[in-house]
Amino acid sequence: MDCPTAQTNLSAYLRGDLPLDQRSALVAHLRGCRICLVSLAAVDPLASVLVQTETPPVPSGFETRVLAAARSRRSQVVAVAWSPLRWWRMASAPMHAAAAAVLVVGLAAGLAIGWAAQPAARQIAATPATAAVDPLAAYKLDYLNDAPDGSLAGTYLALLTSPNGEGQ
Amino acid sequence: MQTLSDGDLMPRVRDGDLFAFAQLVLRHQAEAWRVAYRFTGDAAEAEDLAQQAFLKVLDAAPRYTATAAFRTYLYQVVTRLCLDHRRKKRPMLMEVLPECATDAPTPGEEADAVERDQCIQSALAALPSDYRMAVVLRYFEGLSAAEMAVAMGRSVKAVERLLARARDALAPRLELFRGKMR
Repeated sequence: MDCPTAQTNLSAYLRGDLPLDQRSALVAHLRGCRICLVSLAAVDPLASVLVQTETPPVPSGFETRVLAAARSRRSQVVAVAWSPLRWWRMASAPMHAAAAAVLVVGLAAGLAIGWAAQPAARQIAATPATAAVDPLAAYKLDYLNDAPDGSLAGTYLALLTSPNGEGQ
Repeated sequence: MQTLSDGDLMPRVRDGDLFAFAQLVLRHQAEAWRVAYRFTGDAAEAEDLAQQAFLKVLDAAPRYTATAAFRTYLYQVVTRLCLDHRRKKRPMLMEVLPECATDAPTPGEEADAVERDQCIQSALAALPSDYRMAVVLRYFEGLSAAEMAVAMGRSVKAVERLLARARDALAPRLELFRGKMR
């Protein structure tokens, strides 16, 4: 940057209105040009002192350490803190709508399947009632009447015909 | 390959893209570091604060809305962290900082520069936190009053008043250097 450009940019620099690249160029110029520095001091003495100072560079490996911390934090968040409430708060409106639609469709499908399955359920429920009259006849197990006491068939028969209905 | 803007990177960060986050860190680490260093005057504290700032950006990514430039947003995060840090911290022992107003000659320009930088840092450390932050954001970072207002969470008028008071407070401490310049 030459002196005329630097002098033109001083006011914008002091207002903080200079774009970043022009600002850097002006600061570099001011550090090497006593005339422009004196011009700056005439307008803002503090700026003329501070512009000469050097800030140490970013410590070596800073970005690596930030990323390592970020990775560690991300994995902790995923492993520990998933909760539907948090998800609901963080999700956008379309996600809310999609979740609600999935819920409604799921409920409707559940009701439909339940309704379709009702006749079969009634039929299954009716079968033991018929058997309760005479399970041996209903299940055509008359041949088990001849089974000796203590045999496997005898035990099964006893269970089937017991009065508390355990056999059914 | 086309370089993505900060505004394009933030939605990716929100979706868990750590590569996008790494690009933001690389682009803006100098700003975060400078503000924290100029505010605290301590490299270790500054690194800790700058790191916290980026992690806050990462955590807040799902709620981020681009109302201002990402750079301004980052300044806001760093500024809050620095001011909160100073509120929680015990008062600094000033004897570790060098005295400013001495006319003792120092050998060579480099020694002069080191002394000047130490004295400026010492003068900044003696300011109230919000004055110091106003000086850092304006004179070291080149922010406009409007950007400072966003970063500090105050009105434009309020930051201009802070700057004026900070200038008045710093002037006597830095008079020596202005004299050397003439």
